[in-house]
Amino acid sequence: MHTDARDLEPGSLIEGDLCIVGAGAAGISMALEWIGAGRRVLLLEGGGFDYDPHMQDLYRGDNIGLPYYPIQSARLHFFGGTTGHWAGFCSTMDPLDFAVRDWVPHSGWPIARTELDPYYKRALSVVQIGPDEWTAEAWQRRDPSLVPFPLDRNVAWTKMWQFSAPARFGVLYRKPIVDAPDVHLYTHANVVEIISNENASAVQELRVRTLEGKEHRVRAKRFVLACCTIQNARLLLASNGQASAGLGNANDLVGRYFMEHLEMPSGNLVTLGRTPPSVQMYDWGWGRTKARGEIALSQEVQRRRRILNATVSLSPAALSDPPQSTFQQINPQLIEMFHTGKLSDDVLKTPPPSAVPRTFQLMTRQEQAPNPASRVTLSTERDALGMPRTRLDWRLTELDRSSFAAFYEELGCEFGRAGVGRLQMRDWVMQPPNAGWPPSLSGGWHHMGTTRMSPDPKQGVVDVNCRVHGIANLYVAGAAVFPTAGCVNPTFSLVALTLRLSDYLKHSSA
Amino acid sequence: MVARRQFLRYLGATALGVAATGCKLGSEYDVRSLAQPEVLATLGVAEVRNIGQRYRTLNPSEASVNAIREAILGSRPLAARLGLINPPVAALVRGDFEHGRTVALDGWILSVTEARQCALLASLTT
Repeated sequence: MHTDARDLEPGSLIEGDLCIVGAGAAGISMALEWIGAGRRVLLLEGGGFDYDPHMQDLYRGDNIGLPYYPIQSARLHFFGGTTGHWAGFCSTMDPLDFAVRDWVPHSGWPIARTELDPYYKRALSVVQIGPDEWTAEAWQRRDPSLVPFPLDRNVAWTKMWQFSAPARFGVLYRKPIVDAPDVHLYTHANVVEIISNENASAVQELRVRTLEGKEHRVRAKRFVLACCTIQNARLLLASNGQASAGLGNANDLVGRYFMEHLEMPSGNLVTLGRTPPSVQMYDWGWGRTKARGEIALSQEVQRRRRILNATVSLSPAALSDPPQSTFQQINPQLIEMFHTGKLSDDVLKTPPPSAVPRTFQLMTRQEQAPNPASRVTLSTERDALGMPRTRLDWRLTELDRSSFAAFYEELGCEFGRAGVGRLQMRDWVMQPPNAGWPPSLSGGWHHMGTTRMSPDPKQGVVDVNCRVHGIANLYVAGAAVFPTAGCVNPTFSLVALTLRLSDYLKHSSA
Repeated sequence: MVARRQFLRYLGATALGVAATGCKLGSEYDVRSLAQPEVLATLGVAEVRNIGQRYRTLNPSEASVNAIREAILGSRPLAARLGLINPPVAALVRGDFEHGRTVALDGWILSVTEARQCALLASLTT
C-alpha cells in the first residue's frame, strides 16, 4: 500500500508493528523481508518516487573538514535512495576486516565474517547478482579468458567483484512494496524527531513533516533507522527533547567515526614481455562487466606491514595522465547520473578498447581507519523542515596515508616477481610522514560508521543486534553501524547486515 | 633527450670498446645487451635514462660503465661467478624480486639488477 503523506489530514496518527525510516537499500531490503509476515509494517520515505531538488536540498550541509563532495550530492532523497546513482559494485568484506587489529585503533567487529556469510548469499538476489562465486578460479572456469595474475597468495591475490545491472531499488521494488498488503509505504514523510519516553529508554513515536508544513505522528512497537549514515546520526542528534545530547548519545558517540573509502589513483603499472599477461580479468566496462578482479594484499602482509586493507583496479591510461580529485573534477555526465540515476547513452555505447593496453593507472580503494575525530554534528542552520542541517568534519590519520606506500611497495615487488610488470608509485605516495594529502584526494561516495556497532556502550552506539544501546525498541540498519569500513563498496554488505537484523527482529519479541 | 636510433648507434660503438670480458659470459652480458633493460621497450629511452641517472646519483661508487657492469656480474649467484652456470639476466632480475633486492627510483619499484641496467644506459648516453 502507498500513501502520500501530503494527502493525510494534518495531525494524523499512523500506527504499525514495525516502522522503517528510509526507503533506500537498507529500508527496502528490510521491507521486502516482511511482506507476508503478518505484521503491519510502515516504511517512511521523506521524498517521493522521483528526484526533486527541494527534497534533495534537505540533505545540504556544511563541510568543515578535509575537502569533500557536496554532501547533498553523495546520497539521494527519494524512494530507492542512493541506489538511484549506485554503480552496482559488489564484493564481500574480508575476514580480517572483522578482526581486532592491534595496529588499527578502534578496529574489530563484534561478529565474524562467517556470521554474515548466509546473509551475503541471500543478498545476492536483492542486489541482483550471482552466482555465489567469489574466487578468481571459479570465474576463470566460467570464462577461460579471465586469467588472474600469477601472484603468490601469501603476498597478494585477486579479489573478485560482481556488478549489479545496476539494481535501482526504486524501480525494481516499487511495485512489490506498493502491492504488498502488509507493508504500508508513506512518501513525503520526513521524520524530523524521534520522541522517547521520559528517561529515553524507549521510543514512543516519530514526528513526521511534509515540505508543505503538515505534521503527523507515527507509532510502532519497534523502529528501524535506515535513512543513511549521515541522516541517521543527524536524526538521533536532533532528537534531543528527552536527552539533551541526542538519543543514543549518552557517551558522545553518535556521529563519530565517520568513514569513507579513499579511492585515489596512486600508481602506474606497465606490463612487460613479448606476451604480456592477460588483463581481461581486471577490465571493467560500465554495463558490460559481470565480474572482475582487483588486487589485494594477503592478511599476512597486512599484519606484517601494519597497514589498512585496500585493493587496486587497473585502468588503461598513459603514464603521464595526471591524477585528478573527484571532489573537484567530476565529469558532468557523472553529475547527471548522481542526480537522476541515468547515464547518457554516449557513455553506455563506449566500445571496449581494441588494442591490449600495456600501461595502466592503478586506482586504490582503501579503507579509512576508524577515527573518533572524523564526525557528523549539527549545524546552527536549519532546513525547510526546521531540522538542524548537517555539519561534516571528515578527518584522516597518518595510518590512512602511510598505508598507501607500504601497499604499493609490496605490490610492486610481487608484480616484479610474478612477471606481471613494473609498478610506479605516485609522488605523493612516497612523501615522508605527516606530509599531508595531495590535491588528488578523493573518496568513494561511501558513508559509514556514525552509529558503530559494539557490545560496549562506551565504544559503540548500537549493540551486536544493531539495537541502540539503552533504547529498547530502536535499531539502525545500513553502513552507519560498520565499526570498520573494509575496502569494498558498502551496499552489498549493508544489505546482508540488514537481512540479519530483519531475522533478529522476526525472531525476537517486540 | 636522445632518439632511440641515435642511442642504439652510440651504444654499439661504445660497447665494442669496453665489453671484451663479456664474451665468455654470453652475449647478453655484453654492455650493449645489459644496457637494454626489459622496461626499455615500454618506458622508452628517456624515462629509462632518467631512472638510471637517479640510480647513479644514489650510488656514486657505480659511476662508470665498468663499475656498473662489474656490479651486475658480481651480484650473480656464486655458481655463476665460478663459471658453473650462466643464468640469463632475466633470471637475475627475477631473483632480485624473489629475495627483496629492489630499489625505488622515481617511484618505479625495480630489481637492483635492472636498476643497474638503467644506470648503464644512462652512463653510455651521458
